[in-house]
Amino acid sequence: MAENKIKRAKFGSLQPDVEDVIAWSELTAADFAPATSAEKDSFIQDRPSTSYWKDAWRRFRKNKVAMVALVVLVLVALFAFVGPMVVPYSYDQFISGAENLHPWHYTLEDQQRVAEELAARTGAAAADPETAVEQAIAEAEAKGETLSSVDIARIRASAKVAAESGSEGEATEAAVRKDLGIRAHIGGYSNAELQRKAAGENVFPHLFGTDRYGRDIMVRVMIGTRVSMLVGLCAALLVLIIGALYGSISGYFGGKVDAVMQRIVEVIYSVPEVLVILLLSTVLGDALLEYANTHTGFIANMIPVLGKNLISMFLAFGLLYWVTMSRIIRGQILQLKQQEYVTAARALGASGARIIRKHLLPNCIGQIVVTTCLQIPSAIFLESFLSFLGVGVTTPMTSLGSMASEALEGLWSYPYRLLFPAIILSVMILAFNLVGDGLRDALDPKLKK
Amino acid sequence: MAKYIVKRILMALFTVFVVASLTFVLMKAVPGNPFLSEKEPPQSVIDALNEKYGLDQPLYVQYAKYMGGLLKGDLGVSVKMQKDYPVIKIITTMFPVSASIGLFAILWAVLVGVPLGCISAYYRGRAADSGLRVVCTVGISMPSFVVASLLLFIFCGGIASLKIFPTIFQMGNWKSYVLPCFSLGFYPMCYIARQSRAAMLDSLNQEYIKTARAKGLKTGKIIFKHALRNALIPVLTYLGPQVAFTLCGGFVVETVFTVPGLGRYFVQSINNRDYPVIMGTTIFLASFIIVMNLIVDLLYKIVDPRIDLGKESA
Repeated sequence: MAENKIKRAKFGSLQPDVEDVIAWSELTAADFAPATSAEKDSFIQDRPSTSYWKDAWRRFRKNKVAMVALVVLVLVALFAFVGPMVVPYSYDQFISGAENLHPWHYTLEDQQRVAEELAARTGAAAADPETAVEQAIAEAEAKGETLSSVDIARIRASAKVAAESGSEGEATEAAVRKDLGIRAHIGGYSNAELQRKAAGENVFPHLFGTDRYGRDIMVRVMIGTRVSMLVGLCAALLVLIIGALYGSISGYFGGKVDAVMQRIVEVIYSVPEVLVILLLSTVLGDALLEYANTHTGFIANMIPVLGKNLISMFLAFGLLYWVTMSRIIRGQILQLKQQEYVTAARALGASGARIIRKHLLPNCIGQIVVTTCLQIPSAIFLESFLSFLGVGVTTPMTSLGSMASEALEGLWSYPYRLLFPAIILSVMILAFNLVGDGLRDALDPKLKK
Repeated sequence: MAKYIVKRILMALFTVFVVASLTFVLMKAVPGNPFLSEKEPPQSVIDALNEKYGLDQPLYVQYAKYMGGLLKGDLGVSVKMQKDYPVIKIITTMFPVSASIGLFAILWAVLVGVPLGCISAYYRGRAADSGLRVVCTVGISMPSFVVASLLLFIFCGGIASLKIFPTIFQMGNWKSYVLPCFSLGFYPMCYIARQSRAAMLDSLNQEYIKTARAKGLKTGKIIFKHALRNALIPVLTYLGPQVAFTLCGGFVVETVFTVPGLGRYFVQSINNRDYPVIMGTTIFLASFIIVMNLIVDLLYKIVDPRIDLGKESA
């Protein structure tokens, strides 16, 4: 009966509904009985309430670009963290006999055919120098002459030159392959590995080839991606902690505290950070190494574990990169602290720390998450930049930046050594950027244009 | 206005001072002695050298001397790469090379980036806009060393039919400048295009644009005279630090293309641990960047008289 009433109620009319009033006399004591729990449930909740995060997730899911980027990011993360467990090589393992492999291979039979064809084409000139010398001596003896040592040396040298130009001539080998119609197969194998494979063993291919020390490039790219991702995440967290703390204190307390703190921010803001980071990484790296060598204790022991350059990089981040974050959070806090609930909390005797922690920061969580997320790609950028210049991640550890810089040496013969890390790095940064943009639209719909 | 200018200049000077002090502290934090090499010289020699370079004096005296030297443009001498050659001379010979490349890079970044942003905003949501946005988003996700090395590979011999530009940088040969300038300006170009697109969209929605349109002004005039002027302000904000940094030479781009500029020399000095060169170059480049920022800040007032200089910049 009560449901009928609700349906018939006229909104916007001050006149009491006559039927309604008449109906009051029909109310029985049963109508005043406490509601059962089933009734309560249907009364309180017509549909499940959406929280802030659910709402944001719904908006995020609608954003196709951001979702694709998120999937790509998950794939890259799987590649970086699960990949090294699948591949049986390790990033610092020198596989002897597998140096300078291309990411493709020719089967043993094909190689045999090519070698035979080559030998047939270049003829006896490509023969082994010693056999050439023996042949010449035999010929000379047959004629009844003896060869002087000068003659023997000359024959040996010319045979050597012929042999070398024959085996080294990539172009001629390529031409022979083309003529024979031999195609390359995916995955790099050294000859020893091909023989083991032929013997029935299960040999994992070097899908990205190997470098000049015989290290598997795919594993190195995986580890490098992992390093880049971890550095990006840690740096973003560091920036988040320092920036949020600094910004909220400066914004909440205001007045002289704010004035002094903002002057400091202004100075740091105008310091050219790339230069200072280069400087810090260079100088601090050496200082840390010295400290680790001369001191003992927890900190000194940690330095070789993390790598001196990585530590100085994080120090630089902690010193310089939180400024943007602190400015954004300060701006938010300045707005939020005017709200009534802050006044109420203060009236109830809450301390500044409690108000910041429990009331102010949770209310600008959207901004914080977005800024942190957009900080990750810039941290990855910086890490790869420093590693490329040789002051980032140190050997034997690797990173995408240092791999790219190593690849420059053999760029003309082995372009894929540059290509693989470069593509992964760019795709990763792109995906982080797009996810960050998507998060901004999802968490802060007001900003969306 | 005058008060603001004075305040900004003082601030800039203070920042230079902070950077210089930081370099001094770091120089002192460097382990070991600058005269130590593989062969350890006798103590008497070290003492004599310490006395000669004033390293036997207390730290504050050294600091004062160092600062005094900076004021006179004395940045010390190289200890490893070009032994005993003054750092300031290295900078003055290397910097023009970097600056010329940087100038062309930033020019093409602005001259292409801003119009692209405008086109993108004008054709919002259409194919041209989507295409440009994809290019620019990818562009700001590629580190400069990736762009530079890929270009080096493609156009300098990796693909035989596309070998257009020389592999080794030659001074005075315009072909050598094309790729370094392109790759140095690529990231700023994409960034500028994105920013000017956003700013342009913003100002195209303003009431005064509607008014101009209602009055019957031509589209070209509306865009270039009314909308673009306001859209340029955020671009200018970005340009300040970027101009300075690009002029200083992309460290990476110069390294990849073997340009004999200050950026590459700086990287080499880092790898060789030639501390006076590192410090001197840092101070020089930092001051340069700070001065450029100052100039851009003051330029705001001219471009947009509405900006209230008394108020703190957000």
